[in-house]
Amino acid sequence: MIEVGSLKARMESTPGGLKTEEYFVNMGPQHPSTHGVLRLVLKMDGETVREVIPVLGYIHRSIEKIAEHLNGRQIVHLTDRMDYLSSAMNNWAVSLAVEEALQIELNPRIETIRTIVAELERIQSHLLWWGVLGIDLGAVTTFFYGFRDREMITDILEETTGARLTLNYIQPGGLMFDIHPHFVKRVKEVLAHLKIKICEYETLLSENVILQNRLRNVGILTSEKAISMGSTGPVLRGSGVALDLRKQKPYGVYGSVEFDVPVGSVGDSWDRYWVRVEEIRQSMRIIEQLIDNIPEGKFMVMKPAKKLTLPKKSYFGQVETARGILGVYIQGCEKEEPHRVHFRSPNFNNLWVITQIAPGGKMADLVATLSTLDLVIPDIDR
Amino acid sequence: MSWEIQTIADRAAGATSMAEVGAYLVLGVVLGLAIVSLMGLILNYSERKICAHIQCRLGPMRVGFHGLLQPIADGVKLLFKEDISPRNADRLVYIMAPFISLLATFLIVVTVPFSPLVQIADLNIGVVYVAAVSGFGVLGVLLAGWSSNNKWSMMGAMRAGAQMVSYELSAVLALLTVVLLSQSLKLSEVVLSQEQGWWIFRAPVVGLVACVIFFVASCAEINRTPFDLAEGESELTAGFHTEYSGLRFALFFLAEFVNMFLVSAMLVTFFLGGWMPFHLGGLTGFNEVMDLLPPGIWFLGKVTVVVLLFMWVRWTFPRLRIDQVMNLEWKILLPIGFANLFLTSIVVLLDLYLF
Amino acid sequence: MGFLSREKISGTQVVGDKRISTVQAPRPQRKSFFFNLYFGTLSLLKGMRVTARYFFRPSTWVTQQYPENRQELKMFERYRAELTLKYDENGYHNCTGCKICDSACPNNSIKVIDREGPSGKQEIDRYIWRMDTCTFCNLCVMVCPHDALEMTGRFESSVLDRRLLVYQLNRYAGATKKNIEKSKDSESKDLLLKSFESRTFYEGAIPLSTSDEKGIFDGRI
Repeated sequence: MIEVGSLKARMESTPGGLKTEEYFVNMGPQHPSTHGVLRLVLKMDGETVREVIPVLGYIHRSIEKIAEHLNGRQIVHLTDRMDYLSSAMNNWAVSLAVEEALQIELNPRIETIRTIVAELERIQSHLLWWGVLGIDLGAVTTFFYGFRDREMITDILEETTGARLTLNYIQPGGLMFDIHPHFVKRVKEVLAHLKIKICEYETLLSENVILQNRLRNVGILTSEKAISMGSTGPVLRGSGVALDLRKQKPYGVYGSVEFDVPVGSVGDSWDRYWVRVEEIRQSMRIIEQLIDNIPEGKFMVMKPAKKLTLPKKSYFGQVETARGILGVYIQGCEKEEPHRVHFRSPNFNNLWVITQIAPGGKMADLVATLSTLDLVIPDIDR
Repeated sequence: MSWEIQTIADRAAGATSMAEVGAYLVLGVVLGLAIVSLMGLILNYSERKICAHIQCRLGPMRVGFHGLLQPIADGVKLLFKEDISPRNADRLVYIMAPFISLLATFLIVVTVPFSPLVQIADLNIGVVYVAAVSGFGVLGVLLAGWSSNNKWSMMGAMRAGAQMVSYELSAVLALLTVVLLSQSLKLSEVVLSQEQGWWIFRAPVVGLVACVIFFVASCAEINRTPFDLAEGESELTAGFHTEYSGLRFALFFLAEFVNMFLVSAMLVTFFLGGWMPFHLGGLTGFNEVMDLLPPGIWFLGKVTVVVLLFMWVRWTFPRLRIDQVMNLEWKILLPIGFANLFLTSIVVLLDLYLF
Repeated sequence: MGFLSREKISGTQVVGDKRISTVQAPRPQRKSFFFNLYFGTLSLLKGMRVTARYFFRPSTWVTQQYPENRQELKMFERYRAELTLKYDENGYHNCTGCKICDSACPNNSIKVIDREGPSGKQEIDRYIWRMDTCTFCNLCVMVCPHDALEMTGRFESSVLDRRLLVYQLNRYAGATKKNIEKSKDSESKDLLLKSFESRTFYEGAIPLSTSDEKGIFDGRI
């Protein structure tokens, strides 16, 4: 009787014996499951991943540098193009910093509408992620279901803001437009529709034994590692840390609404999956509480063309986007244009987690893990 | 009702002149070619339409009525595309691989009993032949991946090799149960043995279990989604045929679809009575009503249902991981297959048929 | 539920100085081979039921046949696809050439060229908009004090040469509608009307790149 362990040890120790050769493979910049121009250099041993080296910079557009030539109102539209799936939240982060600089007080109507739009954006981002996760794991059909339902939300956003993806809706001092007259009705319709559909998603994908096997105990990220890598958002919450800016430092009207923070227990891909699906439900809960009583008021508290001279101080605005904490650091210099702008983007930190959790897993595990990290590549490079 | 089996090979054997033999030979080859190319087109179109409708889409709509001519248009497009081969590829093997892939399908088409009168050749070791030749298909995939000089293709080929060879076992085990039940290796006799009822119903439980095992195993053998690791679109970009383009890619594509048809045909032949109408033991009146439809229609109808099932499965499930695929085969399907074979022998010995 | 329980475990967690209410996914217990086999297969069948339901319901299919449905296709009224000057029924616009939109544009897609009118006042000569660099942020419309601009939903603007994406928005150079109505005496009104130059297309040098833009975009960007 030969023990498998001893055989393996002998294979590894014998100099001329059965040996495998490690090889390098480029995953990306054009690869279906990196969702953009991310390049991962993989050191592989057969099917097993030994090392992951992310290579960045394929979609660097120097947004931070361009922002130094623009005023506070103009920076907002650039942030649409960073994390394009949570553009409303990105706009909000810049607006928070600029409003802090100019000490603009907002009325409750603006805050409420901002919160609703941000939560709608979060839902559509998570729906898209859900569909794309399906495609990464080989279930193409979920992709279309996710997109179909996401389309209903982008339609609402399009009706109110005039754009589907790059909203540029939340402006320093208020909003670009008032909400469309159909907004409330259509949001309610979508919520009712989504409530049914999410149960369907659970049946189709979440409870599927293949998906469970693909995600459970794959890419385990412990909470210590998650914190030390600086990851935020569902990635961190999947590891069991209930850090959510909406609870921690409430902005908008998050302080007055009730919702729970979904957390995982082990920190594997399944936990991150479950946290995102549950976040859709919690976002729906938030919208339901707000949609019926949007206060009256103006949608813009200052003149649209007012000069936004930034005093010589530094300002920081941070929001919880669909992928984690986005921080915007602006340093003013008594001019309209800031002296320096820095974005602390959630995806950059979430990406580097992959170097810690993917080695040792299979190639397919890497794809699953990458998918549950939910990266948006333009946000990494900016 | 007694069925008269007459294959094209039989007719050629009973021919009086050489010219007649030649005519039957040509007929056999043309029939095989026609089935392969026609099935490629039909299955291509139906897969697109079915997956589109499952995904709330319309699918091809532009070329012809509801896109009926789309597969032909695509075929013409692929014909005119540049045939690229990578610089350091193993040219001979690279060019050969798609043809080997297609050859395996051709060789199986020969034995498929479409109806008592439409079958190209009826070998008396038909089951062994089918099992042996279907193992040939893996060669094309392996060679394609190996010769492409691409690491992704190579990974796809290795996956395909491991997977297809493993699942061959379960498939053959499932076929063996039917061989036990029908006590013949000849495909026409396997079909004839189901005159009292199809094996999936007539053999209590074991028939159903063997059918499910064969379905799963053949799903893996033809590389379709829960087991499409060899292509693994999101992992390996396109797996073993990453480097192929134009006509050679089309050949792989064709082989995949024809394989699906053949696997369904085999499943129908062994478990769902082949061209045999739906019979229930001694219910003569009922059986005679069923016999009104010609056997060819029965066969095609049953194959359609099984093909639909394959497509339905493909467009619902995510893909397994390579070690899970192996686990499923060696730890679940194979033990169940062996137990099932053992139980079948008991069924046969004690004559425990349902009707 | 078998394979996966849908019941969530709610709890609280202290992060920093906040007590946060959480929900946690239930972890399934390790079960026997046959339990897993049964519920695993069941979960697959349930998934297949979902896809089958969509397959048999044409009402759920959502594809739009785009070029065929051009007639019925309506964009939302706020959809941002093309910048236009608003014209009233007489063909007058409100643009005074104040250049606020020019300075509000984040990427210099707008160039407003003024000229001196017959009364000595600055008035619009050319309103040039580059669609190829425009990001459709809507800031120009937002800041316009005269309500002269709007975004329309004409989204079919693809061309084969990006130089064709430079538009002149004003159809005439000269006074605004407001100024014409203000001038009571017919003599000055005639003068104003005389100063009109109708412009149907942009006649100047078509900017190809920044180096060719001199005179129109003064090399900024």
